[in-house]
Amino acid sequence: MTRKKVKLAFISNDVARKTTYKKRQKGLLKKIEELSTLCGIDACAIIYGPYDPQPEIWPTPQGVQSVLSKFRTIPEFEKSKKMLNQETFMKQRILKAKDQVKKQMKDNKEKEMTLLMFQCLNLGEIVHNNLSRTDLNHLDWLIDQNLKDIDKRLEVEDNNYNNGPIQIITTQNQVPVQMALPPSPPPATPWKEEMAMVMGHSGMTMNNDDIMQRKFLMDLMVNGNGDETISFGHPHDANLQSGFWSNQLP
Amino acid sequence: MSKKKSSLGRQKIPIEKIPKKSHLQVTFSKRRSGLFKKASELCTLCGVEIAIVVFSPANKAFSFGHPEVESIIDRYLTRNPPQESSAHQLVEAHRNANVRDLNIQLTQLLNHLEIEKKQGEEIEHMRKARQSQFWWESPIDELGLNELVQLKGSIEELKNNIGKFASKCMMEQSNVPSPNMGANGFGRYDSLDNKFGLGINIAPPPPNSYYLGFRNGYL
Repeated sequence: MTRKKVKLAFISNDVARKTTYKKRQKGLLKKIEELSTLCGIDACAIIYGPYDPQPEIWPTPQGVQSVLSKFRTIPEFEKSKKMLNQETFMKQRILKAKDQVKKQMKDNKEKEMTLLMFQCLNLGEIVHNNLSRTDLNHLDWLIDQNLKDIDKRLEVEDNNYNNGPIQIITTQNQVPVQMALPPSPPPATPWKEEMAMVMGHSGMTMNNDDIMQRKFLMDLMVNGNGDETISFGHPHDANLQSGFWSNQLP
Repeated sequence: MSKKKSSLGRQKIPIEKIPKKSHLQVTFSKRRSGLFKKASELCTLCGVEIAIVVFSPANKAFSFGHPEVESIIDRYLTRNPPQESSAHQLVEAHRNANVRDLNIQLTQLLNHLEIEKKQGEEIEHMRKARQSQFWWESPIDELGLNELVQLKGSIEELKNNIGKFASKCMMEQSNVPSPNMGANGFGRYDSLDNKFGLGINIAPPPPNSYYLGFRNGYL
């Protein structure tokens, strides 16, 4: 079946119009039959074409009669609630499309903002060519959201740490303290799952050397030492003393 | 943000009553809408008159008719030939013109939606690519403790600097008498605010930002 995009306008060519009519009318009746069967519901269709004074109908004259009788017994306001013609149907679809566009644009804006935030983190400066004040506010809000989420997780982990049965974990596989920075979050390993179970909490994503390093890290935060042997394991110096921004804002 | 499951897409199903109720309801909704859409198209393309009545699983009556449901039903039940007064035809022509305009509007909206969806996918793609390079861009749920702490520090610093940046902009703007001053005195910001968000101006960071991030960064 060839799928050419048809312009939604009255087909002026008589032959083409008749062909289209025959095809589409058949397809329409098929669709209503499917709907009726799939959902186990009553339905009927009446089509008055230009080629026949008698209408095309579905299912049968008796079927149509019974559905129409049922339809007529319904109070007027109930019927008209869901009664549509071309105009009202179009307007409905337009409303729905508008909502979808709004939602998609909102989602995209969120994603762009997150991207911007990370760009700023990476570059060590605020990428400010196109930023409006609204955007800045949005960025600020996004940062707050992220901080909230981080704090939430830290709290959970903190609680677990304090409530866990073991303070110092002897691990099965001694992971070397100085390791290469994983390019992606470390995949779940059987070892990790075992660890999680030992701590009494399943489903927690933890770094391999989390527990060992945590105390180490806490000391670090308190003292603010820029120690080169920090084993976060990247090949370059962690210039911790200077904080994040080594150069001032432009 | 939670990750949405992508839909199963088009699947062939047997034409028999759907066993699961929720599934049945969704199918009814979708197919009813599609049915009306096809009917509407048939009317526009071939100039036919039509009436469709369907009852929902909850026994609510949905109907679609062109030009009107009731008139078609009457015509069918009374076997009367259609009334074709000139006033009638005028109303018809007017209606059809409306529908044409509405259709143009709808097509524009759907195109816009497509564009936005594509852009969303692009950004998603970029983000995924970056996540394989920069671990701190992964979702917070996937980060480990020490990573979280580091990230927190960096983000807090960024927040600080945004505050400084914003005040700096405010000061600059109030010091410089700009010819663009609008009535509310925020001429410069107004022009900024009119920018179309961030658009597709976001390019991936320069290749050596990885080093920048490490050399200059707390990370």
